[in-house]
Amino acid sequence: MAVPLPETLATPAPPSLPSLVSSRHLRAQRLGRTLRFWVPAGFLILMLGMCFLWPLVYKLPSPTNGNIIYNNEAPFSPGHWLGTNQLGVDQFSQIVYGGQVAFEVSAATTAIGMVIGCTIGVVAGYAGGWVDAVLSRVLDVLIAFPALVLALVIAEGLGPSEIHVIIALSVFAIPAFGRVSRGATIVVRGLPFMTAARLAGTRGWRIIARHVLPNIMPGIVTFSLLGIGIVIILEGALDFLGYGIPLPKASWGSMIAQGQQIMTAQPEYVLIPSLFLLVTVVSLNMLGDALRERWGVR
Amino acid sequence: MALVQQIQLQGDSGARGSARRIAGSPVLRVVGRRLLSAIPVLIGVTFLTFAVMSTLPNDTAQAILGLQATPGQVAALNHTLGLDQPFWLQYWHWLVKVLHGNLGTTLEGGSVNHELAVHLPATLELLAYALVVSLLLAIIMAVLAARKPNGIMDRISLAISMLGLSTAPYAFAFLLIVVFAVKLPWFPVISTSLGSTPVSWFKALTLPAAAIGFGLFAIYTRLLRADIVEQMQREDYIVTAKAKGLAPWRVLIKHALRNSLFTLITVIGLNLGGLVGAVAIIETVFQVPGIGNDLLTGIGNHDLPLIEGIVLVFALVTVLGNLLADLAYAVLDPRIRYGSSTS
Repeated sequence: MAVPLPETLATPAPPSLPSLVSSRHLRAQRLGRTLRFWVPAGFLILMLGMCFLWPLVYKLPSPTNGNIIYNNEAPFSPGHWLGTNQLGVDQFSQIVYGGQVAFEVSAATTAIGMVIGCTIGVVAGYAGGWVDAVLSRVLDVLIAFPALVLALVIAEGLGPSEIHVIIALSVFAIPAFGRVSRGATIVVRGLPFMTAARLAGTRGWRIIARHVLPNIMPGIVTFSLLGIGIVIILEGALDFLGYGIPLPKASWGSMIAQGQQIMTAQPEYVLIPSLFLLVTVVSLNMLGDALRERWGVR
Repeated sequence: MALVQQIQLQGDSGARGSARRIAGSPVLRVVGRRLLSAIPVLIGVTFLTFAVMSTLPNDTAQAILGLQATPGQVAALNHTLGLDQPFWLQYWHWLVKVLHGNLGTTLEGGSVNHELAVHLPATLELLAYALVVSLLLAIIMAVLAARKPNGIMDRISLAISMLGLSTAPYAFAFLLIVVFAVKLPWFPVISTSLGSTPVSWFKALTLPAAAIGFGLFAIYTRLLRADIVEQMQREDYIVTAKAKGLAPWRVLIKHALRNSLFTLITVIGLNLGGLVGAVAIIETVFQVPGIGNDLLTGIGNHDLPLIEGIVLVFALVTVLGNLLADLAYAVLDPRIRYGSSTS
């Protein structure tokens, strides 16, 4: 595997001058950094707890069956603090169970995308040459491909189910992770310690495991937080178009689609799930930004 | 237009307009290389669609004939439609037809060429409207934000772009409808026809374009702002420009922004393919008579020729977008323009 040696003798950039700031300023900066990490992280923990722990502790009304007598109750009515929909189904338990689906699908999709995509990307970036050329072309095709179309075609062909949504959305995640990890690997490959590792006679796979992966991980993790957010939105899109989680199972996207029918009279049916969706994705993105700042990832 | 000027410039600067010099023009080489590398991508994309659509369980013939059809009738129709052939053979037939300019017929019997000719303009107009407006707003916002990092404008732009990045376009579309079409009757709720006057066009496409454009605006603003801030802090030519005594806004716009546009242009080109999903959903929400709307109908009906045609068009748009991005590079970067680039 002929890997060109990097230019190790290039002049390093001059170190930036220490900034002359007061200790008070520094403390404020540190507090800001802590808050920027823990506020979104706290929101996410809250959402996860609400979706996965709450139904274990408190008995929620069924998210699929309601009592038609208590339909269209306004938010903050007794027993249904987010109200009920046209069929009398409790909105809050729909949010909770829909949230479970959203988190499960996005975690599974991102995990699949990360494992397969990173394998392709790291191999392509590390090996270079024709391996890189072939794998990059494959990634190019997948990226040029309107992924939502493929996701819709797969979801439509296989029929609606949670597993099929995960399969369909993985098509979206794999090339994205592949591209990011390939770029990061190429950057790492050019660093001096890689030359040292090669000169020390370390084998290829060992270099990948010990030197490449730990160095590209920060970038991949911050990217995957962004990816989870995108997958949650896309999962909602599939539900919204009727190709996602089959009704009557609850999901945020189908709640929005159902609320659309009476949107002008009662916009809260669209607003409530949209708000939960927004808060979740904003938290994920802000957490990603905070980690990027902390780890110095570009 | 710009391309022609580049080539003329090339001819004048070098060996007095000799044909060889033009053929070796770096701009033309970029175009040529791009177009060549587009061919495997286009083939790959359409082949993948074919492969996926054909391997998935499908009952096209049954759907056309209805539930009363006998197995014999279904088999016969499958034979006439060519659906009983292996998919690579079907793909080959399709490819040969496409190279003759015929995209086939939809399951409903219409010609795909006709369908695209009627519905493509609305989609392209919608895309262009969303792209241009969000790009302009993003440039203004990013420059204002980068003028003073961590200043008030910077924080506002960060907050807005974070919202835009995290909003589901379909949910945002409903918010727009409730506010700007129902509570304030400024725009129509659905845009089934674009009308013929510029005013009706504007009215019909503004809300859909806003729903698509908000996310784009967020991505572009974040990217451009981060890049400008970095340029302003790191680059030597900024120090030079400041030391020359240039006005701060001139440094910002003529030096930092100009160089930051490169990153932005690449991202715009790359994002075009992913935009298709948003366009399809938003067109369905607003009932815009475009090919995104057709695409979803086609997927619902398992209409392979229609889907293939639309996928091909979208892939072409992506490829051409990337080509334009490369050309914009050449226009912005004199090193590429004059072919003295070493990288």
